[in-house]
Amino acid sequence: MAAPARTWQGVSPKVGRAKDNSGGSLAVQPDGAAEIVETVRAVLRDVLGVSDERAAAFREDTPLFGALPELDSMAVAGVLTEIEDRLGILIDDDDIDGETLETFGALTEFAKRKALG
Amino acid sequence: MIDWYDWPGGREAMIRLGPDHGPVVVVVLPLFEEANRTRTFAVTMMRALAVRGVASALPDLPGTGDSLVATEAATLADWQSALSAAAASVGARASVAIRSGALLDGAIANRWHLAPQNGAALVRELDRLRAADGRIAGNRVDPGVIDALSLAAPAAARTVRLESDPGPADRTVPGAPLWRRAEPGNDPVLAEALADDIVDWVRQCAD
Repeated sequence: MAAPARTWQGVSPKVGRAKDNSGGSLAVQPDGAAEIVETVRAVLRDVLGVSDERAAAFREDTPLFGALPELDSMAVAGVLTEIEDRLGILIDDDDIDGETLETFGALTEFAKRKALG
Repeated sequence: MIDWYDWPGGREAMIRLGPDHGPVVVVVLPLFEEANRTRTFAVTMMRALAVRGVASALPDLPGTGDSLVATEAATLADWQSALSAAAASVGARASVAIRSGALLDGAIANRWHLAPQNGAALVRELDRLRAADGRIAGNRVDPGVIDALSLAAPAAARTVRLESDPGPADRTVPGAPLWRRAEPGNDPVLAEALADDIVDWVRQCAD
């Protein structure tokens, strides 16, 4: 099933390769957008070791890559793999660019697009 | 105490804790970087098991820990063979494996897994780490190991996962994934809870 092409504020519209990798059974229901945001927040907290308070304060425009010293290129690998595990999705690394990790909002929109199609 | 075991490729060290009599489990750390992140936690769990009357052994597998074998020279079959030898040397008929350690214990009679990771997921992450650094946990790894790991899957086991992990599990427990943290940490409360689960399980295995 082809995902409808969408663009998201603040994210480059590289959705052409988005695909359903879950074998047809999405781990998260389409109304789970808020749940995805909280899952991404928990992944950043757990992988980067930031406090609950700091993670809870992440907003859409909170800068990530380049602004959080904990988020180095090695940590990015952990963040992506943990998001895959928790949302039951597969991420093609060609879909990831600097903008995907630029802000919390960009990363959560990316995760929503992969998980909800 | 530090002990040794012999496997067909040589001799490696292992930590042993707990009573001389009673059930023994062999503990298997994850492969590569996650081993560093979970070692303290694994030993905390071993101490908790010892208090509960269960002995344990944590072997260095060839090319890991203090092994003299180069990481690049070790294969998946070596790790599996060495683990079986370590288990046999202490009379362990049960394994306690963390994350990708669950890819190594298929030959052990009884298996308990914490957040087991399948080989394909591990290789996806290794590819990302290599793209970032060109190495894995600071080491070069035999490409044949990556090929073998990509096909590896955990054998059936009693499976415990964290509540944040949607994978299939016999039980889920609250806690943060220590194996994801760049700064190694510990979680004694989780270690105690898991030790309780392992003790109940291992006593059923002995029946």
